[in-house]
Amino acid sequence: MPVPTIADPPPSAGPKPQGQPSQKTMTKAERRELQEKQRAAKAALKQQPPQGQSKQQQGGNAGASGQQKAKVPPTPQKKSFGAEVSASKQHASASKDGGASGAAAEELTGKQLSHGLRIFSHFGQPKPVGHTIKGDIHPATIRLGLLFSEFKICGANARCIAMLTAFKQVIQDYTTPSHSTISRHLMTHLSPQITHLVSARPMSVTMGNAIRELKLEISGIDIDMIEQDAKKKLYDYINTYIQDRITTADKVIQELAGKKVKDGDVILTYARSSVVEKILLSAHSEGKKFSVMVVDSKPLLEGKELLKSLTNGPNPIPCTYALLPALPSLLPEVTTVFVGAHALYSNGAVYSRAGTAMVAMMAKANSVPVVVCCETYKFSDGVMVDGFSKNELVPLSIIQKNSTDRGLAPALHLETLNPLYDLTPPTYITAVVTEVGLIPPSSISSIPLALGKTSL
Amino acid sequence: MVSETRSAATSRSVEVLAQKLRRRQVVGSRAAALETLLVLRQVISKARFSNLEQLVAIIRDAGRRLVDAQPKEHSVGNTVRKILHHIREEFHAATRGTVVAKPASFSISKFVLQGQPRKHAVLPKSESKGTLRENDPDDPDSFARGLKPVLMEAIQDVLDELETVYDNISKNAKDHIHSDEIILTLGMSKTVEQFLKSAAHSHNYSVIIAETAPSYDGRIMAKSLSEAGISTFLVPDSSVFALMSRVNKVILGAHVILANGGMFAVSGSLMVATAAKAHSTPVVVCAGQFKLTPLWNLYHEYGAHDFGNPSDVLGFENGDLVDKVDVVNPYYDYVQPELIVAYITNDGDHPPSSIYRLLKETYDDEDNEL
Repeated sequence: MPVPTIADPPPSAGPKPQGQPSQKTMTKAERRELQEKQRAAKAALKQQPPQGQSKQQQGGNAGASGQQKAKVPPTPQKKSFGAEVSASKQHASASKDGGASGAAAEELTGKQLSHGLRIFSHFGQPKPVGHTIKGDIHPATIRLGLLFSEFKICGANARCIAMLTAFKQVIQDYTTPSHSTISRHLMTHLSPQITHLVSARPMSVTMGNAIRELKLEISGIDIDMIEQDAKKKLYDYINTYIQDRITTADKVIQELAGKKVKDGDVILTYARSSVVEKILLSAHSEGKKFSVMVVDSKPLLEGKELLKSLTNGPNPIPCTYALLPALPSLLPEVTTVFVGAHALYSNGAVYSRAGTAMVAMMAKANSVPVVVCCETYKFSDGVMVDGFSKNELVPLSIIQKNSTDRGLAPALHLETLNPLYDLTPPTYITAVVTEVGLIPPSSISSIPLALGKTSL
Repeated sequence: MVSETRSAATSRSVEVLAQKLRRRQVVGSRAAALETLLVLRQVISKARFSNLEQLVAIIRDAGRRLVDAQPKEHSVGNTVRKILHHIREEFHAATRGTVVAKPASFSISKFVLQGQPRKHAVLPKSESKGTLRENDPDDPDSFARGLKPVLMEAIQDVLDELETVYDNISKNAKDHIHSDEIILTLGMSKTVEQFLKSAAHSHNYSVIIAETAPSYDGRIMAKSLSEAGISTFLVPDSSVFALMSRVNKVILGAHVILANGGMFAVSGSLMVATAAKAHSTPVVVCAGQFKLTPLWNLYHEYGAHDFGNPSDVLGFENGDLVDKVDVVNPYYDYVQPELIVAYITNDGDHPPSSIYRLLKETYDDEDNEL
């Protein structure tokens, strides 16, 4: 089974904790469980503030880490830290399911899948409970893992920024063991954090790229450097990375793509991309007269959020909202399609929110230009030819939380699949707007080299 | 006096159906066709006429009122056309009894000159002097008395055809779907549902069903199929493109089949068909013959100009968004004939390119405009 490497635990890992024969440990575990349940409930309460606010919290510098740490429950025994974490995760995911029925439904899904089509078996399923990670997990990472798994932080940019900000805290609180050096040891400290985040949700390409760069930076630290200086260096490095590759890149893209919006245009966009949102808002603030069509679809219906921000304020952008099946009726009036991306592969294919490929395909059929807005740090070296080979499923609980209707409960012979991504072939794409300019999708592979990357 | 109350009664039954159609109390092509047929039967049985023109005029009048009530439900007009066609055929069969049988030989030149062979069944009035006599001055009802039993039989035939339409379509299902295939469909179509269930008797296969927002009818379909023991996967509309590469066949339902071989179908069909085309996956449409419509969609492709309730897309729970945003919810897509491989009807399987011929056989040209 071609599973993502670290994401899936061996199948035997699940029932192990329950299989403990000793009566004494059982009761102990039960006591701990109760404790953790209360903690998880508390943590869940804390996570209620909306994404923007929580991001702000994270965006604060590491000086706030003390305050952050105070919020996270202190762990009683240093020795059993790892076990504690996994236990808390168990309960978090259980409570997220909205009680026993939800958990049962998800279990059924898992069981069904093994009976069902084997071609779907590699899709990342919601992680089974009882997944243990060795090593110390920083509270900031646990918090972030929860936010990821509940889709409170969603989107390639937001996830990458949140991860890097959490890592700043992790590095801040890290002390090098006496017998080792920071350049050698820090990565072994970070890797369980990464594993934890990946177990919450499969890693995004952006996160992978950022981690790779960070690793390179860590390994490049001089052994003789004082620890505090090295930390400072890494700290600055992360800040620069966020600044250069994401924040400033977005501003440049905003400017470049903004030139493609003209008076009287009808811009169509799909779901919600932070970059596209910024482009539209800035073009509107420049006084351009255009209207926007927001096309949206299950599973996440993110377009509504975009719609809210576009129509917010005293001077809203004229908007039309429709679901994906209505797209062919809208397209004859559209002048340009703007979409965001999760990742770009070197063959020019765009890996993005499920449905983007359909929008691009229909736009191409109607001779409407399709412009993909994407920072260069989202570029991936690999080649992808099919949205089927790598994908992620949205857990049922998330969908039910996002919409009022309950959908269809899985039953015998019946299964609901909610793939999160699809792959748009390069033939449907007119241009990719990056911070280094507008390029055709066929030239994607040359960009990393042009940016100074020495080897492929 | 008597005739007036009779015609009032029939006109009332026409009016009742027209109201139902207008209020969308009768929805679905087959239901509408059935209701129309029943009303027409009543109209014909009560009608008084002494020649063919009068009968045709009565039926057309009733038909026009029904069609005007719900112009988007094309199966109403189709049923009227079909009845008219049958009436003419029965009339010619009855009157021709005395006339010398037509020469059975057809040549290409004759075909070119005279068009469809059936066409020259239209005979000059003077020749009709058998048992049926039009405009008989002695007994004005004799024509109606003679023709009505045959007409009732003809209507019964159409009725039977409508009632067995699903069985006839799904008769060959097992030849279209094979073991271990993955079929993709969308929305809820009774025809497709029966077709897939019938195929499941002989083959083990999987179905992927797109939910088809905003009605989410796909869920009903998924429930029904999974209960029939078919391995079913329900997916959002957005993932159709990603999954299409693994799909062996796309099976769709139709709302209306047009004369050029294209069709109107539930919105989302065009996207699915285009995605299938991009992956070279065959698209097969299951539909009853009553959906064949002598209409063309050459100039307007805008979702057949029929729109649903916007609150299904963006409900009032979204607060003040509702005030600021235009919401579009078209019912139908126009799917071009190039995207469709075959139509499976109760009258056999046809490529889109031969639909026009089927239309010529089913309806008379003069009825295209009711």
